[in-house]
Amino acid sequence: MSPELIRIIIEATVDTLHMVLVAGGLGTLFGLPLGVFLATSKRGELFPAPALNTALGVVVNITRSTPFIILVVAIVPFTRLIAGTSIGTAAAIVPLTVAATPFIARIVEGAIREVDQGLVEAARAMGATPLQIVRKVLVPEALPAIVLGLTLAAVSLLGFSAMVGAVGGGGLGDLGIRYGYQRFMPEVMAIVVAVLVILVQSVQTFGDALARRLNKRLRHA
Amino acid sequence: MTAAVALSSASLDGATKLASAPQDARREEAAITLAGVGKTYAARDGAAEVSALQDIHLAVPRGRILGVIGPSGAGKSTLIRLVNGLERPTRGRIALFGRDVTALDESGWRRERRRIGMIFQHFNLLSSRSAFDNIALPLEIAGVSRAEIETRVTKLLELVGLTDKRLRYPAELSGGQKQRVGIARALATEPAILLCDEATSALDPETTRSILQLLKRINRELGVTILLITHEIPVIKEICDEVAVIEDGRIIEAGPVFDVLTRPAHATTARFVEGVTSVELPAHLRAALRSEPLPASLAVLRIGFAGPHAATPVISRLSTTLGLDINILAGRIDAIGEQPFGSLIVAAPGDIAALGATLAALHVLGLRVEQLGFIAVAPATPARSPCEEVSDVA
Repeated sequence: MSPELIRIIIEATVDTLHMVLVAGGLGTLFGLPLGVFLATSKRGELFPAPALNTALGVVVNITRSTPFIILVVAIVPFTRLIAGTSIGTAAAIVPLTVAATPFIARIVEGAIREVDQGLVEAARAMGATPLQIVRKVLVPEALPAIVLGLTLAAVSLLGFSAMVGAVGGGGLGDLGIRYGYQRFMPEVMAIVVAVLVILVQSVQTFGDALARRLNKRLRHA
Repeated sequence: MTAAVALSSASLDGATKLASAPQDARREEAAITLAGVGKTYAARDGAAEVSALQDIHLAVPRGRILGVIGPSGAGKSTLIRLVNGLERPTRGRIALFGRDVTALDESGWRRERRRIGMIFQHFNLLSSRSAFDNIALPLEIAGVSRAEIETRVTKLLELVGLTDKRLRYPAELSGGQKQRVGIARALATEPAILLCDEATSALDPETTRSILQLLKRINRELGVTILLITHEIPVIKEICDEVAVIEDGRIIEAGPVFDVLTRPAHATTARFVEGVTSVELPAHLRAALRSEPLPASLAVLRIGFAGPHAATPVISRLSTTLGLDINILAGRIDAIGEQPFGSLIVAAPGDIAALGATLAALHVLGLRVEQLGFIAVAPATPARSPCEEVSDVA
């Protein structure tokens, strides 16, 4: 394998990591509060706003039910508005973030709904404000489940990031299509797949270990 | 003991009384006062309106322990949650230390709750926080400084005997230890009132006893007023000063624990009390019981003791003064607070004259006597010593 090819593979890996990390980070930044809100805004909950809850729920569902490749094309004008272009790694981060946010929001919502309501009641009995309940009770108690969910989201993003290659984004997917498929270089395709497998494995292992570390429920005296 | 649990008549307007009754010192003194409180859950989704509590009048005197007992679904949980504003009444007034809190808004209640601790059946500790950090939580919420938290939590861990478990997570603690953390957490903000929501119902009897002793100590040493709800009469008997019995959302009986337990006026109360205070005949004697006397049969009597009479040597006095043979069939002597009470089932000579003398002597002593029936003198019975026949002693 030529040094040139090795350089291209490393570059593509860095691009992929760049897209996944930034889109994952932004997705968490938007998805976490959205998920918390979805989990606490029904009637009788901490921040009751049933109408807004329903509306946001619909938006989240629409985004999540649109196939990613169609989402990428459908939001091109929005991508151009944000990134200034619709081609390249930076531009690919926009649709990846748009896809990741509702995904992460639903994961966070689920994790928070799993928190024992007795803890919320105990915190209310202490005189906690709704915001304090979120910060000191709901999020810390849901954290192990949130970390596992974010791991799942990161693995999905790795898959999505391979698709943005089809619309001019960079990364391993793009490399696999252009060299492996279009230029008949099966060894490149094999390397791309191998790198993706290693990345997924690493992300999963790291996520599991972190969640286990955060989970204090499994310890026994 | 003052009858501080007020069971005022339904016609009384609780609200006015609460607001303008300086002559009623007892009510002013009370830590918690509920006057004519009702709670109705609005009809929703086709379900009918549900009335959880009706016309509740209750006063918990400052520095005392009042227990509310009742079957599940009686409204106990709603009642205790009215006191810290987790539930709002639909009728009536609530006052804490004479201050009306009925109309407080949520932020007013948040301030109020920092003076009211609460512990729960399932402890409700944060699994992500150590014992120390769980106890620190209410202090963090109240905005107490880190240094102050360190001092106070260390003292609280010592108070509940968990100094060595400081950095343990709830999953590493036993049920009793978790409830001790719960108690320390409830006391962190130095509240004047402690609410206990079935605090020992998830614990085994031995742990229950140690938790109850801790609560009693907190009540005596720190002067914290305790309102607890339970469905277990031993909890009431063990630590409460006052008791209120609740059924179907109404308080059906209330008063000092000794009075209510030894002289229950309501059938539900009697059912609760049965296992703790009363004594039953052993099955083989119950089967032999007749309602009419036979020649040479023995009369079976249940004698109830309460208060000072429990200490008088009744049986020996009957034997010596009347020259009667009294055989003890079953019995139990116990104490509520420091007051002894008990009940004995005895067999006394069944002929009319002797029985009359026995009953008269017992009445003179002011004891409650119930005639259960007669049994024939079985050949085996006199041969046994009384000790062997004392059964079912608590």
